[in-house]
Amino acid sequence: MNQSTKWIVGVIVVVAVVVVGYFVPKGPSGPVLTEPIKIGFIGPLTGDAANIGQNVRTAVEISVKEVNETGGIDGRPLEVIYEDGQCTGNVASNAANKLISINKVPLILGGACSGETSSFMGAAEQSKTVVLSYCSSAPAISQAGDYIFRNYPSDLYQGSFVAEYIYNKLGKKKVAVLYAKSDWGNGIKDVFSKKFKELGGTIVIEEGYEQTSRDLRTQLTKIKAVNPELIYFLGYTEASIPGIKQAKELGLTIPLFGGDAWDDSKIWTEVSSAGEGAMYSVMYAPLNNDFKAKMRAKVGNDEITICTPQAYDAVKLVAKVIEKVGTNAEAIKNELYKTSYTGGVSASEIRFDSNGDLVGANYIVKVVRSGKAVEAK
Amino acid sequence: MDIIPQLILNSIIAGAIYTLVALGFNLIYGATKFFNLAHGVMAAVGGYVFFYLAKTLGLNIFIAVIIGVGLAGLVGYGLDKLIYLPLRKRKASNMVLLVASLGAFTAPQAVIAILFTSQFKTLSQHVGTQKLFEVFGGFITQTQLIILTSVVLITAGLVLLLHKTQFGKAVRAISDDEEVAKIIGINTNKIIGYVFFIGSAIAGLAGILVGFDTGIEPTMGLSLLLKGVIASIVGGVGNIYGGVLGAFLLGFVENFGIWKISGEWKDAIAFALLIVFLIFRPRGIMNK
Repeated sequence: MNQSTKWIVGVIVVVAVVVVGYFVPKGPSGPVLTEPIKIGFIGPLTGDAANIGQNVRTAVEISVKEVNETGGIDGRPLEVIYEDGQCTGNVASNAANKLISINKVPLILGGACSGETSSFMGAAEQSKTVVLSYCSSAPAISQAGDYIFRNYPSDLYQGSFVAEYIYNKLGKKKVAVLYAKSDWGNGIKDVFSKKFKELGGTIVIEEGYEQTSRDLRTQLTKIKAVNPELIYFLGYTEASIPGIKQAKELGLTIPLFGGDAWDDSKIWTEVSSAGEGAMYSVMYAPLNNDFKAKMRAKVGNDEITICTPQAYDAVKLVAKVIEKVGTNAEAIKNELYKTSYTGGVSASEIRFDSNGDLVGANYIVKVVRSGKAVEAK
Repeated sequence: MDIIPQLILNSIIAGAIYTLVALGFNLIYGATKFFNLAHGVMAAVGGYVFFYLAKTLGLNIFIAVIIGVGLAGLVGYGLDKLIYLPLRKRKASNMVLLVASLGAFTAPQAVIAILFTSQFKTLSQHVGTQKLFEVFGGFITQTQLIILTSVVLITAGLVLLLHKTQFGKAVRAISDDEEVAKIIGINTNKIIGYVFFIGSAIAGLAGILVGFDTGIEPTMGLSLLLKGVIASIVGGVGNIYGGVLGAFLLGFVENFGIWKISGEWKDAIAFALLIVFLIFRPRGIMNK
């Protein structure tokens, strides 16, 4: 074989592989109409933010059960394949690859942590798989592509809301930022710092830490040395518990202000008196008593973490959309841009803008009093 | 405010915790000459046994500490008898033992996660109301003082054990040359079993103390192990004194390293230290 024959054979092989690869996974063309409709789920079922992931999973299970009890989707039951993303990019990416190429789901609910979603949104966009995240808030996700949606607001809103709240309402002008090096932490930090400086405040120090780090003493020591009036502490549960304790142990008495990840009762029971007076921002959710009762029946206590209402609504929304347009991912995508979902427990209306981002977001501030977070007046 | 005293205290606390991990690791490495990765999970075993006994069952703290430490030791002993000893008898290479220890690391960690969930838990009963001591303008908590005291006592105890007892002599003989030790009549497998018990028990104590200071989670073993291993290599792997020296050096370099640059570089600095030593002094500070 001379060089050009080799080339021709090579090209033919490649074309053959591509063509076969294109047709084979499509499988049988007419699916049996009683088989379940499968969608994927990715969230931190273990690892950082596992408390949130488990709570969210419970809500998804309740929601799926309700959809199926009321006849499913056109008579077909909805089934969710749960995958653990561990709040970590590469783990979530593996989980998404499995859901996309092995389970061939048209839609993935998740991920929760922004780092999870960011890790697989490229692959999902390429393979035309719809992603609906119930929890990821990093601003960068807006630009991810047509197939990526979220019914959780972008941190653009949260960062500037908090900047205004701290500057105007609390009257603090010198702030230190302590943040987890993650898409979420970096995202809020950037928006917050920019807005806070625009308002006329000073960021006296910005200290990052590895998300898995549990020893923040030296970061806090440096913060203490520059005498800020408040610390904006963007951390997930696992680092926040030791972080809040260590702040106290280093003799820091200035107020702590956290991000929406602090809406996890576990933090406040674990740090007990060290958390007294801590504040955080969280998206306002019109939870109704019916939803609270259902969660209590399954979880055993009153815990409803951040993103749990969003996940519950996301399932309902997806079921509604699939009922209308079927399981084709492109049709689901097109329909999602047109849909408006009302009557949910996470927001009065769920509607997406042209980036697939949730339109409008209301935040409230909660403050910790004797181990419980209550709405700040 | 002058932050140097606090930085020094932070470094000492970190160094003390790394010491506890490095001590047991070096002890076991000295006797067996393989990287026992499962050493990390012993910290989680100790921490969780203590958590179960003291917080769930409400047992007296001191009894719970003793049982936690003892059980961690027993798990280490059991791993040696069940996995490493049969492999050693088959003359398995250190590579095989390393891979086996990776399995022995992962399995107990998964079991702990199943039994106790993977959520982060603190062991301390009075968070936030802990006594603080001021040292030259820096702060140190009661728990951290207990950690420091334990480290001093355990290091001293280990040194005495190795140099003043028959058992210690046997351990040192095995470290020098296992074959020769066997020839002169030392029951090496029995001694190595005890070494695993002691090393793992110290790691178990480390887990409990870390739990009091920050908290426990099933995956806590890996980060502790990584830092412990860096400390061992920097100090001189297999060398008890080297481990202590390496641990404190690591603590200081890590915490002073992020004095002028942002905190997220901490782990990068720790590994940079490791790489510098691997290139310029691969046998560590103490080993010739």
